[in-house]
Amino acid sequence: MAQTAIPAPAPAPADTVTEAVSERSRRARWPASLIAGVILLLIFAGIAVAAPAFGNPLQQNLLTGLSRTGLPLGISWAHPLGTDLLGRSELARLAFGIRTSMIVAIVSNVTSIAIGAAVGLAAGFFRGPVEAILMRVTDVGLALPYTLAALVIAGLMTAGLTRVIVIITALFWAYPARLVYGEVLRLRHRGFVESADAIGARGVSIAGRHLLPHVFPLLVTYSPLNAASAVVFEATLSYLGAGINPPTASLGNMISDGQTAISYAPHLLLVPAVAILLITMSFLLIGEGLKARNPDLARVSWLGR
Amino acid sequence: MARTMIRRLGFGVIAVLGVAVLSFLLEFVIPGDPARAIAPRAQSAAVLRNITIQLHLNRPLIIQFLDYFGQLFRGNLGTSYVQRQSVTSLIGPRLATTGELALAGVIAEVILGGGLGIVAALYPRVRAAVSAVNLTLLALPQFVVGLLLLLIFGFKLHLAPVTGGAGPAEIVLPALTLGLVGAPWYAQIVADQMGDSLASAYVRTAVAKGLPDRYILWRHVLRNVLSPAITMIGMDLGAYLSGVVTVEVVFGWPGIGLLAVDSLQDLDRPVVMGTVIVGAVAVVFFNLVADVLRMYVDPRTREEQA
Repeated sequence: MAQTAIPAPAPAPADTVTEAVSERSRRARWPASLIAGVILLLIFAGIAVAAPAFGNPLQQNLLTGLSRTGLPLGISWAHPLGTDLLGRSELARLAFGIRTSMIVAIVSNVTSIAIGAAVGLAAGFFRGPVEAILMRVTDVGLALPYTLAALVIAGLMTAGLTRVIVIITALFWAYPARLVYGEVLRLRHRGFVESADAIGARGVSIAGRHLLPHVFPLLVTYSPLNAASAVVFEATLSYLGAGINPPTASLGNMISDGQTAISYAPHLLLVPAVAILLITMSFLLIGEGLKARNPDLARVSWLGR
Repeated sequence: MARTMIRRLGFGVIAVLGVAVLSFLLEFVIPGDPARAIAPRAQSAAVLRNITIQLHLNRPLIIQFLDYFGQLFRGNLGTSYVQRQSVTSLIGPRLATTGELALAGVIAEVILGGGLGIVAALYPRVRAAVSAVNLTLLALPQFVVGLLLLLIFGFKLHLAPVTGGAGPAEIVLPALTLGLVGAPWYAQIVADQMGDSLASAYVRTAVAKGLPDRYILWRHVLRNVLSPAITMIGMDLGAYLSGVVTVEVVFGWPGIGLLAVDSLQDLDRPVVMGTVIVGAVAVVFFNLVADVLRMYVDPRTREEQA
């Protein structure tokens, strides 16, 4: 009987295993989505910083920037992304639109999360009337019809970056407040909080020194998702004329301009649309990557639409 | 369970009142004179003054406030400054139009999102592709999706009408917009829940005792998806009924969102208030209905709430 040689499984050399393990942990620290998101975001940050290098976004070229029948130009060497309805360089406007989006994303992300975290920490830590009032106010914030509330606030202010950031902050703080509050509820009966309380630490110090560090990873994971929603919401506001108004370039008002030319110059719609897609995508990829690194935080969800 | 519901209902009423008070005050801070908005070409100050008196806008803010909320508790939303008819009769038909769109949109997102989620859960090979689709849809603002659909199906393929209106042909693209934008949320929930369920002991037991796959899928796996899906549907119905402003603007869909935008421009305060209050009520009401339904479908949530 011919014996088929069954090759014994070669014992894996110790260093291979170590390598495999370290390879896995390296991957877990830097998931592909996180790397892709960070690279994309760096590219957009670069464009935002170097926006003036792409040309003047306000320069109207009614003679050279439009076709002989007065229509926007398509892609050419002189105008890499064509021109808009007033003969302005679409590339320059795009770069400044990206700059607007990035500023809004960063600033309103910080403000809304800071306010939300403060409210959530305070409500979770001081019980009684403070908790009740803060959480009912948060409920109101969550029950507000977003777009309508934004339009009402928009009526109070003059157009510009500040208006957009105020609106987004006013509407976006409630969700992180709820997230932080839930986390503090879980933590406040844990030993380290109760012992800090027992040795007579003041409320502010317990909230800041003991609770905040525990809530921090949650906020870090939430922030790219919040930034993505902020970019989307800025574009929506400017599209509706309630955010940044022309001639200042914003991806939203570029689309609003471009939609009037939808049947003959669709690139005026597509160019800013792709930019919004990629910026938001970079934040979402970072969010996904952070969740993959820390599966405990996978319950952090996306916010706005 | 009944006590939890009453408590939540109480919170809901407080939230709606909070929204109402907030928007009432905000509207008074908005610069602009409603009288001027009603009679933009009025030359004499007397005309403007008469309008102001007619609308009781000359009274102190606190009196106007008490007046408005007194009427509100009697179910009266007041009279439109501009249209000269009751706010209720203005909002009614708009709410119905938005309701059609909201319902069609939710159906579209459940089908699209549910489909994506089920495919991702059952076929691991396409999981990466599904999450790429999810992320793309998630990254696009509603109005961009709407305009892209208009560009492709309206202007390039000539398959859909590009004019506004509320007919059966006109509803397809706006509903599809809501469906596409909402789909990734459902896909995520369905895929997660099905994944947990497929890995569970009760599904293993069901397979071991020889139940047919289809039976296991419907009775054991998909049933678990139902409860979070109901919560999402409730949230979406409420949010959409409060006016899908951007979609209504893009497609010229004459719903409550478009009414709100128009009256905001006209400084027609009673109508703006009416739309905001109806919107907040819709949000709170459908969240509550979803909670009740969920407790009915999924006994585990009953204990959780107690």
